[in-house]
Amino acid sequence: MQKTSKLSRDGAVWGLVMVAPTVIGLLVLNIWPFFQAIYMSFSKSLPFGEFEFEGIDNYVEMFSNAEFWKATWNTILFCILTVPVGIFLALLVAVMLNSKIRGRTTFRAIFFLPMVVAPAAVAMVWKWIFNTQYGIINTMLGQNIGWLTDSRFVLLTCAVVQIWSNIGYDAVLLLAGLQNVSATLYEAADLDGASKVRQFFSITLPMVSPTLFVVLIMRLMSSLKVFDLVYMMVDDANPALSDAQTLMSLFYRESFVAGDKGYASAIVVWTVLLIGIVTVIQFIGQKKWVNYEV
Amino acid sequence: MKKLHRLAAGALAALMAAGLAGCAPDDGTVNLTFQIWDVAQRDGMQAMCDAYTAQHPDVHIQVQVINWDEYWTKLEAATMSNKMPDIFWMHTNEILKYADNGKLADCSDIVDTEHFSDISLSNASGSDGVLYGVPKDKDTVGLVYNKEMFDAAGVAYPDETWTWDDLVDASQKIYDATGNYGYMAYADDQLGYWNFVYQAGGSILTADKTRGNFLDPGTEKGMAFYIGLQKNDWCPDQTYFAETSPGTAFFSEKGAMFLEGNWNILSELQNYPDMVGKWDVAVLPACPDPVSGDGRATISNGLCYATGANNKHLDIVKDVLKFFGSEEGQRIQGESGAAIPAYEGLEDTWVGVFDAYPIDVTCFVDMFDYCVQSVNNAARPEWKTPVSDTLLKIYTGELDLQTGLQQMQQEVDTASAEYYEEDA
Repeated sequence: MQKTSKLSRDGAVWGLVMVAPTVIGLLVLNIWPFFQAIYMSFSKSLPFGEFEFEGIDNYVEMFSNAEFWKATWNTILFCILTVPVGIFLALLVAVMLNSKIRGRTTFRAIFFLPMVVAPAAVAMVWKWIFNTQYGIINTMLGQNIGWLTDSRFVLLTCAVVQIWSNIGYDAVLLLAGLQNVSATLYEAADLDGASKVRQFFSITLPMVSPTLFVVLIMRLMSSLKVFDLVYMMVDDANPALSDAQTLMSLFYRESFVAGDKGYASAIVVWTVLLIGIVTVIQFIGQKKWVNYEV
Repeated sequence: MKKLHRLAAGALAALMAAGLAGCAPDDGTVNLTFQIWDVAQRDGMQAMCDAYTAQHPDVHIQVQVINWDEYWTKLEAATMSNKMPDIFWMHTNEILKYADNGKLADCSDIVDTEHFSDISLSNASGSDGVLYGVPKDKDTVGLVYNKEMFDAAGVAYPDETWTWDDLVDASQKIYDATGNYGYMAYADDQLGYWNFVYQAGGSILTADKTRGNFLDPGTEKGMAFYIGLQKNDWCPDQTYFAETSPGTAFFSEKGAMFLEGNWNILSELQNYPDMVGKWDVAVLPACPDPVSGDGRATISNGLCYATGANNKHLDIVKDVLKFFGSEEGQRIQGESGAAIPAYEGLEDTWVGVFDAYPIDVTCFVDMFDYCVQSVNNAARPEWKTPVSDTLLKIYTGELDLQTGLQQMQQEVDTASAEYYEEDA
């Protein structure tokens, strides 16, 4: 009896030692800064990392700032533009890559390629493609549309690039889900005379829904946190800047350009809340459509 | 078995600890780090350090280049953790923040003030007027122009007789004759509207630098003229500049003129070999009817060498800085083509570098006679972005000029009030 408990205690110690690097890393690099950020959001920032507690001033300033609400709306709009279309296309690609077509492995590699390229490089190339004067899109259309400088198009343009960058990764995740669907289900459906479309909605979709849910959560979070893409594609001299500024770009400007880290922390805390709310809604909503039975 | 566990765990811990330990040489030599942001000046800086090492074999200085975008984030982080590089470049944008918070060492005892202009000294001083750096260089802004386009339109090249009217006339004629843009006026401060504001007799800040001065008639005149330029067919609008910088447009032969700082000329000659000989540079045109003054102005900025207040080898570092600020050190810098030495009388060392090119850069030196110190106060990091955002709104027409200027005034005043309360 005693022997077992000693053994398990020994095992527990070893377990802790083994996870220590990760846990310590998380505590030092993620958890502790998170609480610091909350504290900073209630403080006035002085130069060189000094802070002075001042209460809710940053939040009062933030909620009465039109630029902040504009950035919040831009962020939400960006999610609406990217997430549904992006996931739909990723699912489409996954289904196609799962079927028996020639050169399937090659296509899988091609679709995954954007994920391997650095986001900054992706943004630079797309910037050229969308360039008003010399870009290939305007040249083909014979138009002079300011894709990145017109306030009506700028966010849409960024959304297109975001979708393009993520399709491959999402598709690979969904593909893994698809491959777990047992072939016998389709055989049975074939025998019953169900059409391919019917098979997709009655078999594929429910069976892949847990993966779809994971992809949806990840994609929403990353869209709410979008920064590098917008930062690279829309620079400070762009007149459409305010129509493309997301919460994270606003945070960057306040924190690292203007140096107001207290106010910037308030923006971050707001973003975390926003992501939290959206995620909770999803976990409640998933009960309606995610199928965990195999 | 248990022993083995202990041993393994101990080894693991030792391994982790090893990463933290540093090492310091103890043989009398001192290794110093020198942080800069311009890769084009690395060789010049290294030559200067080598000259010092030749005289003091015990001191080795390593030049590290960190590009501008990361430079200030890194320097701030290094300052917070008390790990500043031994020597670093300091810019007027940031010097007041560092100096006023006591992060920089007092350099008044190693600068020979009679060899530097008041502007150079002021650019290296904190709000308290004490020198916190050794003046490194000084710069001006000139009018770069494409000779071929002027020839094609039959317009005489810009010279010191030029006024704003000539700038507009020439732009129109070049546009009519060649279809290329004339003067490319974009939303920029130092390489844009600041110059025109001071030419018109206005200023961005009040004389004591504690408040904005956007509502001054001279300021308004300069702003109105400069912003209005984009309404002409011969000037691209701000949406164009959002994707194509004036420099890119100029060197791809899409436009005839733009404002450029002298610090970029050498690298532009090197980077666009096909364009060499096709362009030259002139002094800035004057305002024909300024509200006050003679209509001439150009913005002059300058960097300095600085060191941290808590540097471990302060005596040695200050001796190095003293050398950097001496005639010898500044001469090496000038002859490398890096920048115009701040040391008065050595301007020609920089001009001489361009003998190899068909371009006359003396205009940059001539303009020191009427140059204006680059705009700065302790609150600038805070108002810089809001002001440039407001400027964009004037360009897009979201705000009219008057409202826009009032908003800029308010932005500068609100930010400045936190620093200069007693003067309010």
